[in-house]
Amino acid sequence: MLSQSLIEDVLTAALSTGGDFSEIFVEDRFTNNFTLQSGKIETCLSGRDFGIGIRVFKGLQSVYAYTTDHSKEGLLKAAKNAAQAISGKSIIQLAPFVHESVENIHPIHLNPQEVDKSRKASIMKNAYDTAKNYHSSISQVTVRYMDEEQNVLIANSEGKFAEDKRVRSRLAIQAVAVRDNQMETGFHGPGAHQGFEFFENLNIDHYANEAARIAVTMLDASPCPSGKFPVIIDNEFGGVIFHEACGHGLEATAVAKDNSVFANRIGEKVAPSIVTYIDDGTIQNEWGSINMDDEGEKARKNVLIENGILKGYLIDKFNSRRMGMESTGSGRRQSFRFAPTSRMTNTYIAPGTSTPEEIIANTEHGIYTKYMGGGQVNPATGDYNFTVMEAYEVKNGKLGKPLKGATLIGNGPKTLQLVDMVGNNLGHGAGMCGSLSGSIPVNVGQPTIRVSEITVGGTKGE
Amino acid sequence: MNIQEFQANLFSAALASGFTDVEIYYEKKEVFGCQIFKGEIDQYEIAEDGGVSFRGIFNGKMGYAYTEKIDDASIPFLLDNAKENTLIINDEDSEEIFSGSSHYEHGNFFSTALNEITIPEKIQFIKDVERELLALDPRIVATDYCMIRTESVSRSLSNNKGLSLSDEMNYLYAIVEAIVKDGEETKTSFEFTVSKDFHNLNAKEIAKKAAEEALSQLGSKNIESKEYPVLLRNDAAASLLATYSSNFSAENTQAGISSLKDKLGSQIANQKITIVDDPFLEDGLATRTFDSEGVATKKLTLVESGVLQSLLHNQKTAKKEQAETTGHAHKDSYKSAVKVGPSNLYIEPSELSFEDLLATMGEGILITSLSGLHSGANTVSGDFSLAASGFYVADGKVQYPVNLMTIAGNYYQLLQDVEEIGSDLTFPLSPIGSPSVLVKSLSVTVE
Repeated sequence: MLSQSLIEDVLTAALSTGGDFSEIFVEDRFTNNFTLQSGKIETCLSGRDFGIGIRVFKGLQSVYAYTTDHSKEGLLKAAKNAAQAISGKSIIQLAPFVHESVENIHPIHLNPQEVDKSRKASIMKNAYDTAKNYHSSISQVTVRYMDEEQNVLIANSEGKFAEDKRVRSRLAIQAVAVRDNQMETGFHGPGAHQGFEFFENLNIDHYANEAARIAVTMLDASPCPSGKFPVIIDNEFGGVIFHEACGHGLEATAVAKDNSVFANRIGEKVAPSIVTYIDDGTIQNEWGSINMDDEGEKARKNVLIENGILKGYLIDKFNSRRMGMESTGSGRRQSFRFAPTSRMTNTYIAPGTSTPEEIIANTEHGIYTKYMGGGQVNPATGDYNFTVMEAYEVKNGKLGKPLKGATLIGNGPKTLQLVDMVGNNLGHGAGMCGSLSGSIPVNVGQPTIRVSEITVGGTKGE
Repeated sequence: MNIQEFQANLFSAALASGFTDVEIYYEKKEVFGCQIFKGEIDQYEIAEDGGVSFRGIFNGKMGYAYTEKIDDASIPFLLDNAKENTLIINDEDSEEIFSGSSHYEHGNFFSTALNEITIPEKIQFIKDVERELLALDPRIVATDYCMIRTESVSRSLSNNKGLSLSDEMNYLYAIVEAIVKDGEETKTSFEFTVSKDFHNLNAKEIAKKAAEEALSQLGSKNIESKEYPVLLRNDAAASLLATYSSNFSAENTQAGISSLKDKLGSQIANQKITIVDDPFLEDGLATRTFDSEGVATKKLTLVESGVLQSLLHNQKTAKKEQAETTGHAHKDSYKSAVKVGPSNLYIEPSELSFEDLLATMGEGILITSLSGLHSGANTVSGDFSLAASGFYVADGKVQYPVNLMTIAGNYYQLLQDVEEIGSDLTFPLSPIGSPSVLVKSLSVTVE
């Protein structure tokens, strides 16, 4: 993407004022984003993102410059701009590059950039037709199609020189159901670190029907009661609760500055022993998977909490300096516009022994959440909130009527302590996670679990 | 390769390959940002950013493509993709390349004085904010973010119908998030300032506001979960309005995903509510002289005394309703398609002070921040259930902070249930603004 000698010049210019580490990230990304609404493909966006990020460290100081100007002058100017933030004399020289061949653990069979756009359109139409025809109350269906090929080159002053190609595909289906003055929505958004074969092997009807079914079901839902209840959270995307409640608090971004409730607690019991929490970027072709992170570190499986004991954090290169701990291959970024920082990949609660049926049967009175919406956490306090897309009442060990308008709030570390049943049906769900280094693809996952008490904010009083 | 040369080559290649009308939109941005942690530079960012998008009519349909790599090799990439995209688009409401408005207001959105502020001056300022903050109270343990950022953005739009427009703007903002600890209790606050007038910024004042906001939340108590009168502080009210602002888009009403469909002329809010969109608002973050199709922008009243007067339109949505575009064609950047979006949109303030509003409420809940807006607010139905922080109010005065809450209701109902509007209009680091809003009642659940 850039010549090796130009890269050397840029890395050297970046170090000219006394930096002790410099890095270049070159990104060339091709994307397609299509939207189908009211039966018609309305928007087709195709584009090429291209830019270069240059980073310099000096001790605990980090400087980042980026540019879309790929000329030699433009790049050297950016490197010098970055170097200007540091004052001193050059102290180190570049180590000779060691070209790494990054093993591709996520096979891509059909690059979407080589697939005719009419085939993409027909996939969208299939999803639309299925969802629209699910029920007469479905008034609107929006289908979004996305594919991208991201080529990256990462080189640094320590001799790293690595290249990678990431290909991702995703389909998002939103259905709106209407009755009288009431409107409800349902959503499903499967995605993978995979080529066009992802769409060809995807059970599109299943996802389209589910999105429509949720919207239609919610038309008959009662307002969710408010109060404190045992809450059963179904598998797959249900894992978003622990993504918010503890995943973010385990990122070095918060831990390194002691701004996380989990800081300085390695070895402590932070959860019941039935809880094991893992971040694994190596799961083949999963949406949040990577071959290497955006600092050129190999993807790995990081056990964060094992049988309730805090084992580790998610650490990037810069925060590893502040923490005095090794990078865990967790440095990620949305694009060249962001300096990388510690982020999740595919994060999940490991399966336990209970069947989902047992969990429901053992719950006298509570709330069962089948599909979650999104959520948010304040890592400093651990306070989180997230919404429930589809929920049901649980009464005497059986599922009851559907409930709408539920929001779960609480404190991450406290909620973690209250997990009292873990199912055997681990599954993953795709999402986008926003934080300091932008919006990145991640999976959240878990088996069905039960928390003995969560505060539920509903639209109906207690 | 410079942009003029690129544009000339792109247009001639496009017209030669069968495009009839063509447009190029170019954005260029200069960014500086710096974050301080414990007196040292923690993050430092400097950038030159930009890209172009191409739109063109091929066989009567509009095709799009964009690139950030401006070189000759990108020209066939843009044309091939744009052409292929027209083949799968099957929207019969076609877009048009615009030949120009009769008059364009001049906009003065770029401050030369701000542009001349040096990087060391900016760094010193944000260091001062952190130092002042940490010195204020021993319970202030750290900052999560303490950063300053400046951006200058220039945009230009040209087409083969003779239109050639450009404008530029710059702004500066500073953000500080204070973390306070007292025993087991941790609270955070988020304080910001947006300005073009660097020399009038006061580090001490920003630090003091951040400290007060965080410290005031310590010692939170439980109260009964039930319906309460709610005073949404200006920043919280603005964040809620921002979440629902897409409902004013004619694109959403036409798609049947906005409840404001067929509501023109009806009372959609209490008569105390007037909502305007002002593309020329001083210090606004979405100021612009022309919209994303090149149409001249102007101030528009959306809701007057509670009655819906207008929706936001671009050329395509206006054509569908035999109306005029309101100059609200919008794209987030050169990467996006032309959609509909507001510029600086806000609820007009009244004369009532914040204290007046507290006094009018008597007993109730003051909400100072909302979170989970991206997921807890259903923009289609208007229903929301959101995590909230705030205070218990009795006898017209703030009594004590309340444990984490959720507030739930329906935004359209809330607009009808507004009892008073404050005078304290603010834009919380956003082009969408509001004064504080007193609401008859919302369902409040306390953790």
